[in-house]
Amino acid sequence: MAAVAPAPAPRGSSSKTESYTDTKRRDDVRQANILAARAVADAVRTSLGPKGMDKMIASANGEVIITNDGATILNKMEVLQPAAKMLVDLSRSQDAAAGDGTTTVVVLAGSLLRGSLSLLSAGVHPTAVSDALHRLALRAVDILHGMAIPLELSDRDALIKSAATSLNSKVVSQYSSLLAPLAVDAVLSVVDPAHPDLVDLRDVKIVKKLGGTVDDTELVKGLVFDKKVSHSAGGPTRVENAKIAVIQFQISPPKTDIEQSIVVSDYTQMDRILREERNYILGMVKKIKATGCNVLLIQKSILRDAVTDLSLHYLAKAKILVIKDVERDEIEFVTKTLNCLPIANIEHFREEKLGFANCVEEVSIGDGKIVKITGIKDMGRTTTVLVRGSNQLVLDEAERSLHDALCVLKPKEFIWTPIYILHGMLRCLVNKKFLIAGGGAPEIEMSRQLGAWAKELQGMESYCIKEFAEALEVIPYTLAENAGLNPIAIVTELRNRHAQGEINTGINVRKGQITNILEENVVQPLLVSTSAITLATECVRMILKIDDIITVR
Amino acid sequence: MAVERLLKDEATEEKGDRARMASFVGAMAITDLVKTTLGPKGMDKILQSTGRGHNVTVTNDGATILKSLHIDNPSAKKKRTSLTLAPDISKVQDDEVGDGTTSVVVLAGELLREAEKLVNQKIHPMTIIAGYRLAAECARNALLQKAKDNKQDPDKFKSDLMKIAMTTLSSKILSQDKEQFAKLAVDAVLRLKGSTNLESIHIIKKAGGSLKDSFLDEGFILDKKIGIGQPKRIESAKILVANTAMDTDKVKIYGARVRVDSMAKVAEIEGAEKEKMREKVQKIIAHGVNCFVNRQLIYNFPEELFADAGILAIEHADFEGIERLALVTGGEIASTFDNPESVKLGHCKLIEEIMIGEDKLIHFSGVEMGQACTIVLRGASSHVLDEAERSLHDALCVLSQTMNDSRVLLGGGWPEMVMAKEVDDLARKTPGKKSHAIEAFSRALQAIPTIIAENAGLDSAEMISQLRAEHHNDTTNAGIDIISGGVGDMEKLGISESFKVKQAVLLSATEAAEMILRVDEIITCAPRKRDNRM
Repeated sequence: MAAVAPAPAPRGSSSKTESYTDTKRRDDVRQANILAARAVADAVRTSLGPKGMDKMIASANGEVIITNDGATILNKMEVLQPAAKMLVDLSRSQDAAAGDGTTTVVVLAGSLLRGSLSLLSAGVHPTAVSDALHRLALRAVDILHGMAIPLELSDRDALIKSAATSLNSKVVSQYSSLLAPLAVDAVLSVVDPAHPDLVDLRDVKIVKKLGGTVDDTELVKGLVFDKKVSHSAGGPTRVENAKIAVIQFQISPPKTDIEQSIVVSDYTQMDRILREERNYILGMVKKIKATGCNVLLIQKSILRDAVTDLSLHYLAKAKILVIKDVERDEIEFVTKTLNCLPIANIEHFREEKLGFANCVEEVSIGDGKIVKITGIKDMGRTTTVLVRGSNQLVLDEAERSLHDALCVLKPKEFIWTPIYILHGMLRCLVNKKFLIAGGGAPEIEMSRQLGAWAKELQGMESYCIKEFAEALEVIPYTLAENAGLNPIAIVTELRNRHAQGEINTGINVRKGQITNILEENVVQPLLVSTSAITLATECVRMILKIDDIITVR
Repeated sequence: MAVERLLKDEATEEKGDRARMASFVGAMAITDLVKTTLGPKGMDKILQSTGRGHNVTVTNDGATILKSLHIDNPSAKKKRTSLTLAPDISKVQDDEVGDGTTSVVVLAGELLREAEKLVNQKIHPMTIIAGYRLAAECARNALLQKAKDNKQDPDKFKSDLMKIAMTTLSSKILSQDKEQFAKLAVDAVLRLKGSTNLESIHIIKKAGGSLKDSFLDEGFILDKKIGIGQPKRIESAKILVANTAMDTDKVKIYGARVRVDSMAKVAEIEGAEKEKMREKVQKIIAHGVNCFVNRQLIYNFPEELFADAGILAIEHADFEGIERLALVTGGEIASTFDNPESVKLGHCKLIEEIMIGEDKLIHFSGVEMGQACTIVLRGASSHVLDEAERSLHDALCVLSQTMNDSRVLLGGGWPEMVMAKEVDDLARKTPGKKSHAIEAFSRALQAIPTIIAENAGLDSAEMISQLRAEHHNDTTNAGIDIISGGVGDMEKLGISESFKVKQAVLLSATEAAEMILRVDEIITCAPRKRDNRM
């Protein structure tokens, strides 16, 4: 505290002097906050848009990450200044709310802060600025709604377009034509038509496998395990007309919870114990076989071995395919997909608890093997995406260290990005079934309409809103700048076109000119734009309202 | 010579005026710190933790700021004694009435500021205290006279509650959606039917969405998952809430072990253990329940047994969740299952899985205890959510207090002006030095509207003089209208405050000021030796 708050004013000074020093301190803190937050915004500004640049981040443990995802950059930046930290949180919120636009929201906030700073220095009270921002946000959302195009959930093409737009600005842009439909199909396949609001992303499982190219990425109607079949004892690796049991017990010698020891007093007893162990396991396997089960999925156990060599041997003899070490978290997903019940005790091993599939097989891809279960009877509403990828994803840098970092990071990121976006989209589709044009069109339109609105208002509010309306132009400006176009020419032309009523005109970065962005199929979910503007204003207002930083333990 | 050393090494002692000044200065420094957060246009503070993670909290809740603050103040060692007082009074205020935490500190600080001037004029602290006491009594009476009670008229009472909630919330983060949240809070409190037990109002925070998506849910929401293969929806549920080991009943005698001489025996023991578990599950099922909630883990084996019996089993519910659940469903937490008749089961109409944001939760609706409800808060980030929870908690506290003591005052600096006027009148009638103190009290009271106006960026001197002129008329409703930036009719603007909060602010601030005034010596004990942890 002492560092921030100077010692109280000397005794006897009039209250006027005191309040004067107080105000000065407040402004200092506020200004420092705004500058820090803007510095963060400037750091990610150049990665906005399809032609945005990537950032290389070397983390403390030597890992190198290359990304242009705003949320990722900010997360890794490890900022300390509290206001700057709020901007990091802001991009995280946008990520959670809409899944995309994480850079946009930060750039927007930075620009709004710049506007606020000039307002503050003109002597406007921070709360007045904050109130104006609030009204602006409400109005802006209305404007966005006015621009939106309705969309039906069944309209697969429109969904794909939207996914492709957001992918275009990512590292994987060259694969957007492949990944977008894949992501759409994945998400659509887990949507329950009766309750489109109950989309649970956990019903989409992503299995990563190195090797091959992204082109090999596929959507699997069924289950994929990134594991080998346990066939050390020569068990089958392919089973047709499979009857699958998911078991949560172990096929290994018994173990009690109470501490136990077997006392062996002579040689013959040793033999007998071995025999008993064999019989015990054989008994279990026989029971399993009796139900007609021919595929076993065994939950991982920390207390004892899931299977032993001996039990594997017997299972192989019984022609049962074994997949071991299924994580407990996965059990729910697996049982849901297979439409079966987990079995926790050999005594409960009954046929009605089994799941059925046409084919269970081990497939070798790349340098590893996976197990695929396909043709599942009465399959639950889940889906699996088998992601393939290699250093093809690494842009051009071939350095070894980079390669590693990217391989770890990218396959996960690039498949999740479209799925996240779609998820956000589906969520907003429930309430607001809309898409909106991309390419800076909404921002220019907002800026134009808000500018016009400011002229109708009176007093301080009008002044503030005018300032902020201009601040919104930062998005098209930056898009153009990053694409190597002349930003001023582009923004002024955009303004002109929008004033003539062509509200869907935006920057076509690929062609490097201004076109009707809807015709180019550059669309994004309305939620991305609305949440960007609401979250950015909320964050800016919060920063404006802060007048002191107090250090606490 | 006198005693050479009375105190230990490093212990210090300050006497008389110096001590008094030190404590004044400390208390006022605190006041200055929080005073900018007062009122609907108050500013926020960043609390930056120096601990692990450098967590950042953004708040304008006086109690929260002070609570975090008083822990360390290494450079102001001398001030520490008095510094701790301020957080204390704000904490008491928070516990007792839930709101007015900033007001109470500001008022106490202003009283001290005035007292300091009087002390400089060589008025004895005891005289000041006597004057303050008289003034506080007088101010309280003035409030009592002006307070309105609408308890008899339910509609009016409800609108009073709404107004109070909106006034409380308008100074918090929820101000933009205050109508919605005021309604939320009022509905929740009305369900309590007069009890001040806020425990049956459960607040769940889920990031994502915006504050507007927050809602009140009748019933109870548990942030857990239903076991695999179990029914996801149960109507007219009978719930057994338990805290029992559902992994294995281990023999808890240290070193207990069994010795066997064959594998078959081991298998037998394992079988027996399983059997024991099965028996336990059977006993639970024998209670005739169709929902079983356990605080501890439920292993795969019993989970399957429950699934077979068509019972919904929820494992690993947290302590708080399970207690609340037992409370709202009217059940008891059981840990043995031998006597089904002695265990009280909980009941509710429907249990189902719902989805909030991206998470699945379990929803119990139609619970036995009608008072219970859950408020689900949605917000962009954890900062917003935490602050929203604090604000909502304040509103709930105030409302539940108002349910008991339904007297209502107007807000917006109106009560302070009313009190100030009465206290001023008293000062004129009182002979002797005390009257100076009484006058000072009135000035301190007026400081609150002054600060509110200042925070809103208004011309405080102008506002206060206008207000004072208005208040010359006994029946005025004039207060500060922050929105239009002038003097307005608080009745028309619907700005109300709870009498109880105002009274608590007044009394505890006076007491705190009095306490600090009485100090004439500060003895700082030698600090305990420890590593430099600060």
